[in-house]
Amino acid sequence: MSDIAAGLFGVLTLGCSLGVVFSRNVIMSAFYLILSFFGLAALYVLIQAPFLAVIQVLIYTGAIVVLFVFVVMLIDQDKLLEVVTGKTLVLTAGVLAWSLGLILLRALNHSPMAVPVSGQLPTLRTISLSLFTEYLWPFEVLSVFMLVIIVGVFVLARDKVNA
Amino acid sequence: MENYIPVLLLLGFAIIVASSILVLSWWLGPKKPLAVKLSAYECGVNAEGSPHAPFASKFYLVAVMFLLVDVEAAFFFPWALVYKESLQLGPILFVALVIYVAIFALGLFYIIKKDCLRLR
Amino acid sequence: MNTVDIAILVAKTLLFYLIVLHVVPIMVWVERRGAALIQDRPGPNRVGPFGLLQPVADFVKFIFKEDPIPTGANRGLFLVAPALILIPASLTLAVLPFGDKVKLFGREILLQVADLDIAILYVLAIGSLGIYGILFGGWASGNKFSLMGALRASSQVISYEIPLGLAAVGAVAVYGTFSLREIALAQDGLWFGWLPRWGIFLQPVGFWLFFIASFAETNRLPFDLPETEAELVAGYHTEYGSMKFGMFMMAEYMNLTTISGVMVTLFFGGWHLPFVADAMLLKWIGSQNLLGLVQVVIFLTKVAIFLCVFVWVRWTVPRFRFDQLMRITWGRLIPLGIVNLLVTAGVMLWLGGWK
Repeated sequence: MSDIAAGLFGVLTLGCSLGVVFSRNVIMSAFYLILSFFGLAALYVLIQAPFLAVIQVLIYTGAIVVLFVFVVMLIDQDKLLEVVTGKTLVLTAGVLAWSLGLILLRALNHSPMAVPVSGQLPTLRTISLSLFTEYLWPFEVLSVFMLVIIVGVFVLARDKVNA
Repeated sequence: MENYIPVLLLLGFAIIVASSILVLSWWLGPKKPLAVKLSAYECGVNAEGSPHAPFASKFYLVAVMFLLVDVEAAFFFPWALVYKESLQLGPILFVALVIYVAIFALGLFYIIKKDCLRLR
Repeated sequence: MNTVDIAILVAKTLLFYLIVLHVVPIMVWVERRGAALIQDRPGPNRVGPFGLLQPVADFVKFIFKEDPIPTGANRGLFLVAPALILIPASLTLAVLPFGDKVKLFGREILLQVADLDIAILYVLAIGSLGIYGILFGGWASGNKFSLMGALRASSQVISYEIPLGLAAVGAVAVYGTFSLREIALAQDGLWFGWLPRWGIFLQPVGFWLFFIASFAETNRLPFDLPETEAELVAGYHTEYGSMKFGMFMMAEYMNLTTISGVMVTLFFGGWHLPFVADAMLLKWIGSQNLLGLVQVVIFLTKVAIFLCVFVWVRWTVPRFRFDQLMRITWGRLIPLGIVNLLVTAGVMLWLGGWK
């Protein structure tokens, strides 16, 4: 039952990812990206990580794709197509994609397919408790990173964005 | 995980309802297209230029800042989940919150003070 | 799981979905009559008694209208957009706890579509998907007004998601769970023998934040900038006709119902009557199943009160300007949410003691 569901959502995720890459219209790409993230969230639910699933929907689908769509809507569509169909760009993108794929394949080959779980699976409660006690300092450093990103983004975007 | 089966069912019902409304309203309605009827609504004048022309990029800044603050705010959820039971461990989670909020507030203060959203 | 279980599941899901779907025509009537009452005019009063059949007439008229697709539109997305807004609006109701539980066919059945342990996050996450219907609908229409409305709408919706989330975090911290059912269960009975154990007394500021943000999330006045009929014609649904336009309205009322339901559950005791504990109510009624029915009625009554408040506010308050709207959330609501969180944590620490 859950295997069938996993297969279906996997096909949805992969198919929509292909849609993202091959669709000519950038907004359509965004649409496929949403569906693909949605399928990914369903897969997270199937491996019993519902928190990860909702955060996936909340952050990726609800915020990152919104940003993506905003950017696409704010630039001229016709200019975008010229950029996308440039020869050197397509070539570079192809090379990059292939090398990334090879790295992923290698990583996949070297990681164990099934990790044996000893005893109780960690719940969301135990994970969050250890995040805020054991890993408190890494967590706080992370928040400083976020602050740096906010300032950095604004400094970079300030001159390019006219009010 | 069985809990999510009804959610899937609901998704199915919602898709059925939405698509049947779309099909019904296309099927039952008259179809008499006219060039004027199909032109973009522009208060009676002809539309000028591309409807997708670029404009007001301040929306972009809102989206970026939302993304960053949303990621920061997402960390409050696991914190809130365990705060009540962590009270018996002492004030460690309170300290964690205070430090985190201080840094969060600094970022927010920067956004408002520097007018990152171009409100003025 | 055998056939009976599956049949119960399907029946239950369908039942709650139909309940929320039927809020839509009722709300259309309430909204129009409410507007008429506030503006001192009769309102729709010709179709059926008190004009009660007006929504049915509206529906029939909508469905038999031509739905033109403008020449400049992106046909696929233009058609999908209303579904994209209606489907998330339908999905969020899955976690609303309408009541406790009933016993039927030898099984205990929860009066809730799905008791997820991440219910609050689920509502926030699925609720945030609604903006794509607006965004794609506005863009695909091929109209400048629509695109402008869509961008404004989505800026507003995403900005108010943060205070909404922060307000929910306060409630989660107090109850120590994401599950709406458990939160509702925790609000049974009285404190000190006279105060209902309702969330609003624990999180007054949180409720206020949630209440304000929910107006913006559902695009209602005073935060209805996406539509602003005076300046943007009708915003993102300018080009939509027939029942496709009706679907945007349906989604709006379903979102209103869900967000009212979440507010009732988080801050107003869910299915519990004030001053009457469930155990006492059970003794009066005598049957667990009847009690379940009564609980659903209580819950829906509370939701109805909130829906009326939404209508009342819509026809009373003028709308904000865009910069005011953004300043309210970024400059006021988000800082207030953080302060609320800090105070909540501090008070809990103080009461829980430094053990």
